[in-house]
Amino acid sequence: MQMLAISEHGDCGGVKMEAPLLEVKNLKKYFSINKGLLGRKKKFVKAVDDVSFTIKKGETLGLVGESGCGKSTTGRMLMRLLDPTEGQIYFEGKEISNLNDNQIRSLRKDFQMVFQDPYASLNPRMKVREIVSEPMVIHGIPKEERMERVEKLLTVVGLSAYHADRYPHEFSGGQRQRIGIARALAVNPKLIIADEPVSALDVSIQSQILNLLKDLQEEFELTYLFIAHDLSVVEHISDRVGVMYLGKIVELADKQSLYQNPKHPYTKALLSAVPIPNPRLKRERIILKGDIPSPSNPPSGCTFHTRCPLATEECRNKIPQVKEINPGHYVSCHLF
Amino acid sequence: MAETMLKIEDLKTYFYGDDGVVKAVDGVTITINKGETVGVVGESGCGKSVTSLSVMRLLHDTPGEIVDGSIEFQGKNLLSFSEKEMRQIRGNEVAMIFQEPMTSLNPVYKIGKQLEEAIQLHLKYDKQKAREHAIQMLKLVGIPRSDEIVNEFPYQLSGGMRQRVMIAMAMACRPKLLIADEPTTALDVTIQAQILDLMRTLREESETSIMLITHDLGVVAEMCDRVVVMYAGKVVEETDVYTLFEDPKHPYTRGLIGSVPKLGKNANRLDSIPGNVPTPSNMPKGCKFAPRCSNVLKVCLEKEPVLEKVEANHTCRCWLYQNTETVGV
Repeated sequence: MQMLAISEHGDCGGVKMEAPLLEVKNLKKYFSINKGLLGRKKKFVKAVDDVSFTIKKGETLGLVGESGCGKSTTGRMLMRLLDPTEGQIYFEGKEISNLNDNQIRSLRKDFQMVFQDPYASLNPRMKVREIVSEPMVIHGIPKEERMERVEKLLTVVGLSAYHADRYPHEFSGGQRQRIGIARALAVNPKLIIADEPVSALDVSIQSQILNLLKDLQEEFELTYLFIAHDLSVVEHISDRVGVMYLGKIVELADKQSLYQNPKHPYTKALLSAVPIPNPRLKRERIILKGDIPSPSNPPSGCTFHTRCPLATEECRNKIPQVKEINPGHYVSCHLF
Repeated sequence: MAETMLKIEDLKTYFYGDDGVVKAVDGVTITINKGETVGVVGESGCGKSVTSLSVMRLLHDTPGEIVDGSIEFQGKNLLSFSEKEMRQIRGNEVAMIFQEPMTSLNPVYKIGKQLEEAIQLHLKYDKQKAREHAIQMLKLVGIPRSDEIVNEFPYQLSGGMRQRVMIAMAMACRPKLLIADEPTTALDVTIQAQILDLMRTLREESETSIMLITHDLGVVAEMCDRVVVMYAGKVVEETDVYTLFEDPKHPYTRGLIGSVPKLGKNANRLDSIPGNVPTPSNMPKGCKFAPRCSNVLKVCLEKEPVLEKVEANHTCRCWLYQNTETVGV
């Protein structure tokens, strides 16, 4: 019986394979931009177009990309704040993409979100105590436990228990982000989806929050999906990194391979574009021509071919498939 | 000795609100030479943007006021200029690029019209010639189909293109000084690389002096010759760009450099500066950075240090480096 259970998890030849905490398969999200009335053709923005990845327990997966690449939409679909157009999401082996709103609400206890804007994501008319305990109210944790837990959570994120009776406007941006993190931790989640959690903060505060996220991960065995546009921040926090361009993951690998040995021309260009705080370092920079094409009318073939310095005829016509070029290193490019 | 383009001396810009006086800029001195790019670095609320607005004299619809100091542009004191005289300078000899390309272009006028306005006004070109010059400027900043773009509205362009239009507008009258306030902060990295590249080319071609206001130390390292670090309305350190990154003196500068995650460096933890930037209502008594400083001395909490020379070409406002006789006081 036990043997059977193990073989179901793909254990073969004595290599122990751990089932991923989260698995995303062929996820798509199309937003319609007109009504398609009277025989007019319906038009779509393909915000996320066939994205697949897994997140193992205890690891941090970073998603990077420029504005409009679909990284936030992906995060929102995982939270089921948006319904996927197509594709499946499995959380601990259970499909969650087909659950209705009521069923998903009780499951959200296990995955929580930290938002970008610490000014807009806290209700200004609620005290910190109410903000942090709200998820616990929803998930039916008794009152005495809640009160105790709020104060404990505030200490964990580097605030003090007496902050519980203040309002959000009394805090600075960094402190507000700490409140947002305390709220996310309130129901003991397994997965935290952090959507640009530090991009609105000053550098000295940004490093405080990044260190806090790392400490909390160790202490509570958290798994993170870390969505950001800043490549250095993503490198710092992640174990594996996925690079998105126009709704697709173009490259996904562990941090070392991706940053030391990038394969996709877009990843290379992106990395070479980051200004490095060292004035002596003179690098060869790949400057991409033009802008990101509109996702409502993406280029044919490989969506990157309009800006790619190495584009060939094949790239213009054929959509590249995702290939595993090294163990765990996935690239979607005709060059490989 | 290089020709001095801009000399800001002991500038004090205060804001008068219901809760009393906010000393946004409190005794700032910055000199920019011809052809030089000077970076002004600091976190939000340190007064870097107010300094630039003071130079442009654009504070009249704010409760802010320049209470002391002088701003000399090519030897002329800008603070003694009338509004009419300032208009001759703005967009002509001194131009500015703002952070938000969307909000700094007028949404109801076509791109061409907005560019031509400054050209006709300052270069006294006629309509035909102004249009040609506008198209030429757009070509220069790398805008494709520039003869069509002049007839389009800002909403039809992407963020990077709008920022290019802003740069074309700023450079149209060949300014001697360009003030760029976070010119690439709102842009994606690949577009940022394009814009920085463009600013470098334009600087080499026209010998324009640039005052680059930013919070991004990477941009500073790439663009600047000299750097001024500001904290709570004051300059805390000033030196050339190499010394700043290799031998920073002020604990704030060091903390700032340590806080930035660096590409390719696999540090497990980042250095961070504890605490928050002080709010104007509870400014510390002595050194403004003392409550967050890891090297704090007793004197720091009581008396504010002055900006002093620590080496030739390197000044720092910190008790750790003050002359012994001054410390003894």
